[in-house]
Amino acid sequence: MQVLDVSQVSKSFGAVQAVREVSFAVDKGEVFTIIGPNGAGKTTTLQMIEGLQKPDSGAITVLGMTWDRDADRIKMRIGVQPQTSALFDLLTVEENLALFASFYDRHRPVAEIMELINLTDHRRKRVKTLSGGQKQRLAIGLGLINDPDIIFLDEPTTGLDPQARRNIWDIVRRLREIGKTTVLTTHYMEEAERLSDRVCIIDQGRIVAIDSPKALIGRLTREREIHLKLGADAEAAAAEDAVREEPNAARIERDGAYVRIRSRKPEATLHHLLGFASDGGWSIEQIAIRELSLEDVFIAFTGKEWRD
Amino acid sequence: MAKSMKQLRMLFGAQIKETFRERQVWFWQMLFPVMLLVIFMVIFGGGGGDFSAKVAIVGERSGAAAETFVSAAEASGVLEVETGLAPEEAEKRLADNRIDAVIVLPESGESGEFRLLVNAERQSGSTAQAIGSIAGQLTAAANQAVTGAAPAFTLKTEYVSSGSRELEVADFLLSGMIALSIAQSGLFGMIGLVEMRRKGLLKRLRMTPVNMRLFGVANMGAKFVLSIVQLVLLAAIGILVFGANIDFAPATFLLTFAVGTLAFSALGYLFASLSKTLESYMGIANIASFVMMFLSGIFIDITVLPGWLKPVSKVLPLTYFADGVRGGMVYGSGMDAELWLNVGVLAAWGAASFILATLLFRRRSASV
Repeated sequence: MQVLDVSQVSKSFGAVQAVREVSFAVDKGEVFTIIGPNGAGKTTTLQMIEGLQKPDSGAITVLGMTWDRDADRIKMRIGVQPQTSALFDLLTVEENLALFASFYDRHRPVAEIMELINLTDHRRKRVKTLSGGQKQRLAIGLGLINDPDIIFLDEPTTGLDPQARRNIWDIVRRLREIGKTTVLTTHYMEEAERLSDRVCIIDQGRIVAIDSPKALIGRLTREREIHLKLGADAEAAAAEDAVREEPNAARIERDGAYVRIRSRKPEATLHHLLGFASDGGWSIEQIAIRELSLEDVFIAFTGKEWRD
Repeated sequence: MAKSMKQLRMLFGAQIKETFRERQVWFWQMLFPVMLLVIFMVIFGGGGGDFSAKVAIVGERSGAAAETFVSAAEASGVLEVETGLAPEEAEKRLADNRIDAVIVLPESGESGEFRLLVNAERQSGSTAQAIGSIAGQLTAAANQAVTGAAPAFTLKTEYVSSGSRELEVADFLLSGMIALSIAQSGLFGMIGLVEMRRKGLLKRLRMTPVNMRLFGVANMGAKFVLSIVQLVLLAAIGILVFGANIDFAPATFLLTFAVGTLAFSALGYLFASLSKTLESYMGIANIASFVMMFLSGIFIDITVLPGWLKPVSKVLPLTYFADGVRGGMVYGSGMDAELWLNVGVLAAWGAASFILATLLFRRRSASV
């Protein structure tokens, strides 16, 4: 069942076209991630869906309703965690949640949300004294207090340390388990790959690709990167020469004792290489085949380097 | 309906907590006005004692008018009178600040002018004003003595009671400080709103179905609570420590208080709508507050302002607020024309600021 439909949506600010004819649909229970570099149009897209921005053209349907006609009804049924954690700094965790709860016709018990975002121990702490990760979790909690059908998380892990980031991932996974639909933006590829059912890659306001992370990676060529470290520079140079004869090897780079090979058939390339190694008595200190990731997908689809 | 009430209660509770948990509020809205009150009371209020000033009366004591004037001055209890000095000596002492004023008796016993000399550097001080006011009344007494309209003896007692009532500097300062601090918490009180906008909290609230009107009402409710706390605090210190007198007119006071609190909050709201950052808001609020502090008769009476500044003072809301607060606290004024003028001007300022601010806010949030 479709809970969100975005169709041919565009938005510009002055001369800058932030979002160009973006279309996608999100199903119930899905974790849908919008990724892209800073300034790609992720937040603008999200804000249009949340009713904070009006699209210049195109249509957005949230839970079968539109912002023009049903703004208050949509607000009752969505939850939002904005990019900057906007909280009442002098109120405690519990007071913030109770206050937001009073805005809605129906809401989850405050204690249950505190449990979910793992802040029960800090319930009486004022927001001012919380860490960045705790604030971010509380912001997510405020978005969940009305038991929303869709929750929007705008870069929930930006600026957090690895542990705090993992805590947020746990929350997203739990939301998925209880059947909530989550739409999130991130510029961490690893995060998108781990959490999402489907990923939408945006660059310069345009959708580059939409699919599950696996399917997107699957669309790339079968090329893999082999990393080797040999015992000596001379051995590495010999290995470089040996690999050139192997028809599957596409690109070979050497840096001292290190050799990097791109191969369409890594097992054949390695077999060829290891034969030379045992014949020549070389010592191989490290050997690895790097898996392709969403980062490679981004590079393949946009022709640009990915920078976090 | 019950839901709205609950929402209002929660919002009000949140605003109260956000206000009273803020250390800045404790300092600027409570401790600072108290400090200011104490400082001004000590400087101008004679340290809690009754007002008194040293005056030299020089010139020929010819005729009943002059006699009445001098004896009334001596009996007033507020003037320390020195007579028999040579005019030049008296003027020298005045210039050296050893005495507060010199009064030169008229040369003729029947008519002429009493001349009042005060130190030029101190002419705007409250002592000089007070002496001027006393001298005016003494002159009136002397005139009456000449025409024989009333016995001088009655006049003296009448003067002492009515004079001390008007001259209590403590009352003037206390009521002025109360008006000023309520005005300032209005002018500066929208810091929270500027901060909320900067942090994106206003935007966050707009993503919920919360009724923003209730939010505004709750905000004003918290402002009133703060104003009442300031009022009680300052009044208690003024009365208990500095012996200020209160002639409380509840209806006049409450009406002025309510309309004034709303009007200054509306002004603060206008400043908030004009400023993107905390710094610019503080700048605007500071300028407004300074201008009003000195031109609205808080510490110095507006009658001593230079003529070209008086029209400015006549349009400032604090002038009317201070007047209303004084009427309701010190003079026991009834619901007279002056009250309605005060309340009317404040209401006009409040309404105009509120409408303009709302328009500006709407335009800005539409463009974000």
